[in-house]
Amino acid sequence: MTAAVGIPPAVTEETEAFWSAAEQGRLVVERCEACGTESFPPRGMCPSCRGRSMAAAEITDRGRIYSFTINYQRWLPDLEVPFALVLVEFPEHPGVRVFGRIRGCAPEEVAIGDEVEVGFEPGPGGFAIPSFVAVEGAA
Amino acid sequence: MGTERFEQRAVISGVGQSAIGRQVDRSGFQLTLDAIVAAIDDAGLSIDDIDGLAMFPGGGKANLPGYASGNLYEVQDALRITTTWRQGQVEGMSLPFYGPAQAVATGEARHVVIWRTVKEGSAARHAGGRPAYGSIHPEAEGPLAWLLPVGALSPACQIAPFATRYMHEYGVTREQLAWIPVTQRAHAALNPAAVYREPLSVEDYLASRMISSPICLYDCDVPADGATAIVVSTVEAAADLRAPVRIEAMAGVIDGRPSWEQWEDMGRVGYATAAAMWGRTDLRPGDVDVAQLYDGFTIEAVWWLEAMGFCGTGEAGAFVEGGERISLGGELPLNTWGGQLSGGRLHAGFGHTAEAVRQLRGEAGERQVRGAEVAAVTNVGGYEAGAALLTRW
Ligand SMILES: [Zn+2]
Repeated sequence: MTAAVGIPPAVTEETEAFWSAAEQGRLVVERCEACGTESFPPRGMCPSCRGRSMAAAEITDRGRIYSFTINYQRWLPDLEVPFALVLVEFPEHPGVRVFGRIRGCAPEEVAIGDEVEVGFEPGPGGFAIPSFVAVEGAA
Repeated sequence: MGTERFEQRAVISGVGQSAIGRQVDRSGFQLTLDAIVAAIDDAGLSIDDIDGLAMFPGGGKANLPGYASGNLYEVQDALRITTTWRQGQVEGMSLPFYGPAQAVATGEARHVVIWRTVKEGSAARHAGGRPAYGSIHPEAEGPLAWLLPVGALSPACQIAPFATRYMHEYGVTREQLAWIPVTQRAHAALNPAAVYREPLSVEDYLASRMISSPICLYDCDVPADGATAIVVSTVEAAADLRAPVRIEAMAGVIDGRPSWEQWEDMGRVGYATAAAMWGRTDLRPGDVDVAQLYDGFTIEAVWWLEAMGFCGTGEAGAFVEGGERISLGGELPLNTWGGQLSGGRLHAGFGHTAEAVRQLRGEAGERQVRGAEVAAVTNVGGYEAGAALLTRW
């Protein structure tokens, strides 16, 4: 699989866990060790109790598409178009929404409410980027 | 209103603009000086009266080629003045005149000039097309780290999901929303300084190429070259001013997650800002004679039509359909200079503010809204958000 064209992320103390896990195809967010609230992107502070003990927590269940766009414009040389970008939420993980690409269906088939599996694909700078997988036959 | 409103101790005294176009072959610095000199002259002041300077964005902040231009200290050096207050803004600039109004209301300065200079038209031409957001940096930092790696490489892709969600929730169609750019193009035809003035039809809109669905070419503002400067003065100096305009009320509230991809309810944007602004005035939406609502993309004008209460939530499609209500003779003439969609991406509410001032003074030429006494001005939306009412002196 050729790497998707984009601009690579600057990795920080807060985001290192996310990008490392992405390399292994795993989606991790932050979970508060005091109250269990999950959030994303990682800030090192619980949005609920403002606690500072946040641990990485993996999400493995299906998400649902909150919204999306199909991009047709070649913003960078070699950017392959069209492709869909999806905002995915997780019914079991309120407070987590992840922006990514989507595979397993034509861009024009993407719809709000569709179920997707967590996934990643090769992206810019050797990073793995979120790339959700459309669930066959899901409404 | 029981409480004193600081913004009423400030007035907008002058607006000025450089040449504006897809490409203006002069440096951003010279365009800046052109706009500043014009604005000070428009206020009836001289350069030596200016004791405050502000620019957007400050600090050389730039994520796009041509986005930022100049340096506040070089401008002060060119003007050879003394300043008691300065500000370079990105965060917190809910409206161009917000910080300057604070400065003159507290007595830190008497006459502040703020400017915004863009060379994005030239930059897009040099790049062979509108460049990727953040493409001047090798790595995506801060909030961009969640956008640029996955391919959300432009504000168009970052804001498009708001439009998708809005249209899904409320059943609003592209055929309806087309009337915003189409009507604004008709207004631009009456504005000699607008970038695009040829007629645009709903058919043209629907036939145009898609950029990032549902945002098509004509939903995007026009990258331009040009500078806009605004002078904000203390109300105590009103007698020295040629034609001041009052700031009746203004507010800038961020109540949701300030992030393009994390904003919780993508069908509703700007409501907290609009509510705070209406809480500072006895005027009501029905009192507004002309609206200059931020339109970096069509959907942003939709947010403000609804958040400001000009129509109900989800009703903007029906409100703008056919164009009558938002035309010059209608109940709410919208972006009478053409907006950023046709007038040019002067950005950050600067073009909108300049037009509101001209309308309230009766200086808007062929596009004048007769008897305009109250103008609404808004800026951006979820990330930064500002709303104000300006009124005739
Ligand atoms: Zn907590």
